[in-house]
Amino acid sequence: MIPVAVLTGFLGSGKTTLLGRLLRHPDFARTAVIINEFGEVGLDHDLVEASQESFVELQTGCLCCAVRGDLALTLEDLLRRRDAGTVPPFERIAIETSGLADPAPILHTLMSDAGLAKRLALAGVVATVDTINGLATLERYPQSIKQVALADRLILTKSDLAQAQCADLAARLTALNPTAKRLQASFGAVDPAHLFDMGHPASLRARDLPAWLGLDGHSDAPAAGHHAQISCFAILRDEPIKAVVLTLFLEALAEHCGADLLRLKGIVNIAENPDRPAVIHGVQHVFHPPVWLDRWPSWDRRSRLVCIGQDIQQAWIEALIDAIEAEVAEVAAVGA
Amino acid sequence: MSGELDAAVQALLEHSLGAWRVQGKIRREADGTLLIATANKRVRVARAPAGLPFRWAVADGERRRGATSVTGVLRHVRTALDSSYRSVRLRIAPLPPTP
Repeated sequence: MIPVAVLTGFLGSGKTTLLGRLLRHPDFARTAVIINEFGEVGLDHDLVEASQESFVELQTGCLCCAVRGDLALTLEDLLRRRDAGTVPPFERIAIETSGLADPAPILHTLMSDAGLAKRLALAGVVATVDTINGLATLERYPQSIKQVALADRLILTKSDLAQAQCADLAARLTALNPTAKRLQASFGAVDPAHLFDMGHPASLRARDLPAWLGLDGHSDAPAAGHHAQISCFAILRDEPIKAVVLTLFLEALAEHCGADLLRLKGIVNIAENPDRPAVIHGVQHVFHPPVWLDRWPSWDRRSRLVCIGQDIQQAWIEALIDAIEAEVAEVAAVGA
Repeated sequence: MSGELDAAVQALLEHSLGAWRVQGKIRREADGTLLIATANKRVRVARAPAGLPFRWAVADGERRRGATSVTGVLRHVRTALDSSYRSVRLRIAPLPPTP
């Protein structure tokens, strides 16, 4: 499987600088890059110094809306050219979105296309945040909020220039996405391994789960956050959850929350298979199939679901699970 | 029949009104039916009579619908109360992410 990282971030937040540093790193030379520019043709293309053959530029518009089909076709074409030997045998792909893009539809393309899923695996989402302008950007542009909320890694750029603002920005980022690991980069310098090692479910080892869920080992839930209408909270369930309850719950969640459910990830104790935790992960209404781990990361076998959403109330989600569980229990009791 | 389920469904519907930003009240009538009253709607949620292939009956005025589960009840109630509601179907990606 070829890992694909999605690099997002608002206009001028340092995506291209970061990508340039990544591609100059000897360990990451074999990286194919898909760049999308909105309005300014080829600017980023010229700025990034890398192997031209592995570069693809989408110029038909913003990746987040009109060109999702283009993205799938571009990826298929890139794989065909790799197989034919007309491009170097790249080992990973980076997709740089436009600064105005909502990354969710891009993730849906990567998650949902059956043909691509045979060969490509979503490594995760990296969002760059400009330390100088980041706070103001988050206040003014909803796209930037979504970029941060959907990220697995947040790279704070230009941190050498703006130490004073760091604390306020850090608090805001914690409110938006407490589960994302945060790194600082000066002139794009960050360990490139962090861009392709984001611990998505199937590559997780049990011991990495707490970090993926944003749990620090001292608390049951990530620091609950709230920013405007975006909130992050954790649902804990002491008792194992029946598989049918989880299915009905996820269906109802997708049905009623749709695009407002920015992200749901968690570890679930399935009643029918209690020794092997199921890891679930979804973006809006699109979910990966559960990944079954070999064992629990610790003695704690409670189910933990971390939800990042817009206008989604924790109490409603708790009530939804309670009602579904009560109905499944009643049906089981009648049938027994 | 489980009182626990009836209470859970009532709690879910009460939270749902808030989540959907619908102004209204819910009360349980003597026969166990839940009456959801908004400014211009009366929606009733009750257990379906025995012998029907449904567990629940949702009545929006003269319009009656059956539901096989609480998630079906939720869908019918929201459709009745929230004219802007468009349901979204869950999609499962074909393969797990396996870098």
